[in-house]
Amino acid sequence: MITTPQSVGVYVHLPWCIHKCPYCDFNSHEASQEKVRSLEEEYVDTLIEEFNFYQDLIKERIITSIFFGGGTPSLISPKLFEKFITAIHKNFDLSKTEITLEANPGTIDIKYFQSYADLGINRVSLGIQSFNDNHLQSLERIHSSEEAKQAIVVVKKYFKNFNLDLMFGLPNQSLAELTEDIDTAISFNPNHLSFYHLTIEPQTRFFKSKPEIPSDDDAYEMLSLVLKQLKNSHFDHYETSAFAQPDHQCRHNLNYWTFGDYLGIGAGAHSKLTHENEIFRMDNTKNPKQYITEVAKQNFFPNKTLIPQQDLPFEFLMNALRLTHGFTKETYSQRTGLSLDDVKSKLHPSFQQDLLYEDHEILKPTEKGVLFLNEILHNLI
Amino acid sequence: MQKNIRNFSIIAHIDHGKSTLADRLIQSCGGLADREMDDQVLDSMDLERERGITIKAQTVTLKYKAKDNQDYILNLIDTPGHVDFTYEVSRSLAACEGGLLVVDASQGVEAQTVANCYTALDQNVEVFTVLNKIDLASADPDRVKTEIEDVIGIDATDAIPCSAKTGLGIPDILEKIVSFVPAPKGDPNNPLQALIIDAWFDNYVGVVMLVRIVEGSLATKDKVTLMSSGRNYAADQIGIFTPKPLIQDKLVAGEVGFVIAGIKELATAKVGDTITGTQNPAKKPLPGFREIKPQVFAGLYPVESNQFEALRTSLEKLSLNDSSLNFEPENSSALGFGFRCGFLGLLHMDIIQERLEREYEMELITTAPTVVYELLLKNGEVEQIENPSKLPDLSTIEQIREPIITLNVLLPQDYVGPVMTLANEKRGIQKNMQYLGRQVMLTYEIPLNEVVLDFFDKLKSVSRGYASMDYDFLEFRGSDLVKLDILVNGERVDALSTIVHRLNSKFRGRDLAAKMRELIPRQMFDVAIQAAIGANIISRETVKAMRKNVLAKCYGGDVSRKRKLLEKQKEGKKRMKQVGNVEIPQEAFLAILKVDDK
Repeated sequence: MITTPQSVGVYVHLPWCIHKCPYCDFNSHEASQEKVRSLEEEYVDTLIEEFNFYQDLIKERIITSIFFGGGTPSLISPKLFEKFITAIHKNFDLSKTEITLEANPGTIDIKYFQSYADLGINRVSLGIQSFNDNHLQSLERIHSSEEAKQAIVVVKKYFKNFNLDLMFGLPNQSLAELTEDIDTAISFNPNHLSFYHLTIEPQTRFFKSKPEIPSDDDAYEMLSLVLKQLKNSHFDHYETSAFAQPDHQCRHNLNYWTFGDYLGIGAGAHSKLTHENEIFRMDNTKNPKQYITEVAKQNFFPNKTLIPQQDLPFEFLMNALRLTHGFTKETYSQRTGLSLDDVKSKLHPSFQQDLLYEDHEILKPTEKGVLFLNEILHNLI
Repeated sequence: MQKNIRNFSIIAHIDHGKSTLADRLIQSCGGLADREMDDQVLDSMDLERERGITIKAQTVTLKYKAKDNQDYILNLIDTPGHVDFTYEVSRSLAACEGGLLVVDASQGVEAQTVANCYTALDQNVEVFTVLNKIDLASADPDRVKTEIEDVIGIDATDAIPCSAKTGLGIPDILEKIVSFVPAPKGDPNNPLQALIIDAWFDNYVGVVMLVRIVEGSLATKDKVTLMSSGRNYAADQIGIFTPKPLIQDKLVAGEVGFVIAGIKELATAKVGDTITGTQNPAKKPLPGFREIKPQVFAGLYPVESNQFEALRTSLEKLSLNDSSLNFEPENSSALGFGFRCGFLGLLHMDIIQERLEREYEMELITTAPTVVYELLLKNGEVEQIENPSKLPDLSTIEQIREPIITLNVLLPQDYVGPVMTLANEKRGIQKNMQYLGRQVMLTYEIPLNEVVLDFFDKLKSVSRGYASMDYDFLEFRGSDLVKLDILVNGERVDALSTIVHRLNSKFRGRDLAAKMRELIPRQMFDVAIQAAIGANIISRETVKAMRKNVLAKCYGGDVSRKRKLLEKQKEGKKRMKQVGNVEIPQEAFLAILKVDDK
C-alpha cells in the first residue's frame, strides 16, 4: 500500500529569459524585460487559476516548499509574486514553507530583492555558472563576473538562505580556473552550492555545434577538485551535484529525490501526485501562450498517466540513489508500496561491483556508487 | 524444328544492362504484355534488383518471327553475374550455342566480362558483340570496340549498337541471333542426356530443375536418373518458361525447359549434373560437372542469444533455395551459439547476410570471413579446418596449407603501380602482365585469405573504381602461417582468432589490438587487450577505466526523459557481448576488416 505523503512541494514555472543559453534544455523562451512586462500579469493570473483548480488534491497536506523556477523568475515583478503567494496563503499555512526564487545576475534589481524578501520568499538560487568572464562569454550568460559578485552581495543583504549554481567542465576550462571559481564561491559563504558537470544535451545549440570541452578524464579531475575543496569547507555533498552547509539542504529538491509528491504549475511544469494507492504524473504544455489557452479552456490533468507498479522501483531508485546518504528502506516501502526485496536480484550485481551499501535501515550508494549511479541503474532495467 | 531453335546467353558485367536487355527481348517477342512487364523480370528477388545482379539463373523461351518469315524458338538462358558464381556461369554457357557479349558503350570491358567471354569461347559458344547504353552522352563506341578487340581478341567491327532502355537496336539483335547463332545439334533418338543448368526449390512442387536437353528426349512420366548420385526419379511435370511456366508433353534434343521430379532437397539436384533415362541410360554424363564447395567461411551469431533457433530456421529456409550455402552449429565463448556458414565467395556471403537481416529480420553479428585451411598432421593425416580458433596444437602439425587463387585484374594502365603494390602487400606472386591496348591484365597467384578480407574494396579505391577482378581456386599451398589470438583481460576471444602469415603477424597483432582499443568502450575497470601468438604476447593496449558515469541533473520534470536516456544506454549495453566481465560491442568482432596493413 502506498502511503500518501503528508507534505507536498509546489513548483511554479516562469518561462522567460532575456537570452537562451546554448547549453540550456529547459523550457525557456526568449523575451525582453518589456515583453515580459506585457505578458506577466495574464500568465500569473493563469497560474493562480491553475493552482486553485488543483488545490483540492492537496488540501489536507502541508506545502513544505514552493520553488519559482524558470526561465528567469527574477524578471517577474514582485507584486505578481505577492499576488500568487497571497492566493496560496488563503488555504495553506506557509509559515514554515521554504520558498525559493531562481534569479540570474544581470536581472537583479536591488529594490526588487527587498520586496521579494518582504513578501515571504526566503531562499534565492542564483545562476552564477562561473566567475570567469571568458567562460561566462562562451556560455553566453548575460552577466559579467563583476555583476555576478554584486548580485551575490545584494542577495546576501536580504537572504540568509541562498544557493549558487556553478558549472565545471566548461569549454577550455583549466583546473586553475576552476579552483578560482570554487574559491570565489566559497568566499561568499553560501549555505548551499550546486556544482554541475556541463552536459551537452540534445536539442541545445551546443549539441548542434559542439564546443571543445574537457575530456572525461579531465572532467573527473575537476569533479575531484570540487569534492575536495567543498569538503574542506565543510559542505556536505548530499546529492550528485548538490552541496549544503549543515541543515541547509534544499527541501524542495530533497522532496524530488525522496520520491515525494509535487504539484507543478505553469508552462511545461510536471506533477507527481499520490492518490488512493496510485501515483500519477501529468505535464503541462510547454508553450506559454498555449498553456494560458489550455487553462482558460479548463483542460486540466494534461497527459495524466499512472506510473505502472513495475516502474516504481526504478523511478524511486533513479531519484533516491542520487542522495549520497541514501534512503531508509521504510521510505521506499511508503513511497512505492513495495519491498526492496523484490529488486534484490537486480541490485545484487551493484553490491558485487561495490557500488551499493546497505544495513538494516538504509540503502545508499558507496563512494564509488555515487560516481557510477548510471551503472547501478542500468542493472535495474 | 531443331533447326529453328536458338539457345543463347547474355554475357555482361554487373550494371552493363543485361537484365534490361533481357526484358526488352522478352517484350519484343510478346512474352509478356507491357502491363505485365515488371522491370527486369528475370531478376525476381528484390535484393537482386537493388544490387543489379542476378543470383539464380532463370530462363525464358521466346517465339520470334524473323524477317525470313520463319518462326523461331529463342531460348534465353540467364546467367548469374558475379565472380563468386563462375561455375554456374560455365554451366549456363554449356547449354548455349550463342552468346551476346554486352558491353557498356561508355564503361568498356571489365575483368569479369573477359573471364565469362573466355569461358564461352572455350565451350565453342559463338559470340557476337552488343554495345549497350549507346544513347548516353558519354558513349564512345569506337573506343570500346577497339578495347574489345584488344582485350578479348574478338572482332567487334559488326558490334550492334543498342539501348536496352529505349529499345534501340533490339530488332537487329533478334535478327542477328537467328542468323549468327548455330542451331543446336543432338539426336532425339539417342539415350537422354539433359544438363542441369539451374535448380531451385518451390514450396508447392519441390525442386524445379532447369535443363537443356543435349541428346535424346524426355517425356512426362519418364523414369530418370541423376548420374552423379545414381538416384532415380519420375519426371512428373515438364515444361517451358514463357516466362510464365507452360506445361509440355515432352522436351527433345536442343530444347530448354524445366523438369519437376518429386525431388525434395535442392542439394540432390546439382548444377552441371546430367539427367539420363533410367531404362536406356547414356554411357557417360556430360562433361564439366563439379561438386561446388564453399570457399569463404564466417560465423553468424544472433545478437540476442534466444534467437538461435530462429536463425537456424531462417538458414534452413534460405538453403532450400541455395544449395551452395552450408551451415553448421558452432559455439563461441564470446558470441554464444551461432552457425559457421560456408559461402561461395564474399558477395554470396553479403547476400546471405543481407537476406537474413532483411527478409528474416534477424539481427546478426558476423565474424570476419576466413578460408579453409588444409593441415598436414605429423601422423600423416590431412585435415581441413574452417575456423581459425579450431587450429589444433601446433606440435601436431607438420604443415599448414592455405588456398591459393589465380587472380586476374583488368585495369587502365595508370593504376598498374598502386595495384601491384596492393597485390604485393597481400602476398601475391605476379604470374603475368599483358598490355591490351590502354588496358592491362595482371595475373597473380595470391592467398585467398588475403583477398577475402578487404582486397576488393582496396582494389577499387587504389584504382578509383576502374579495376575489375576475377578469380578461380588454384591449389592448397604450404606457407609459414601462425594463429593470432586476441585476449581481453586475459581471456582469449575465440571469434577474433585469425590465421596470418608469420611475416605479417606482428603488424596485424599490433593494429588489431589498437583497433580493438578504439572500439571497446571504457568500463568501470581497465581493460587489457593483448595480441598473442601461442604464449607469446606481441602487443598490448589498455582501455582505461572510466572515472564516472552519472547524470548531472535529475529534477521533477526530468524523470521520464532521463529514464529514456538510461534505457537507451542499457539497450546499447545489451547488444554488446560479454567476454569475462568485459562488454565488447559488435563492431569489434569485425575489427580485423578495419585494420590497415602497412
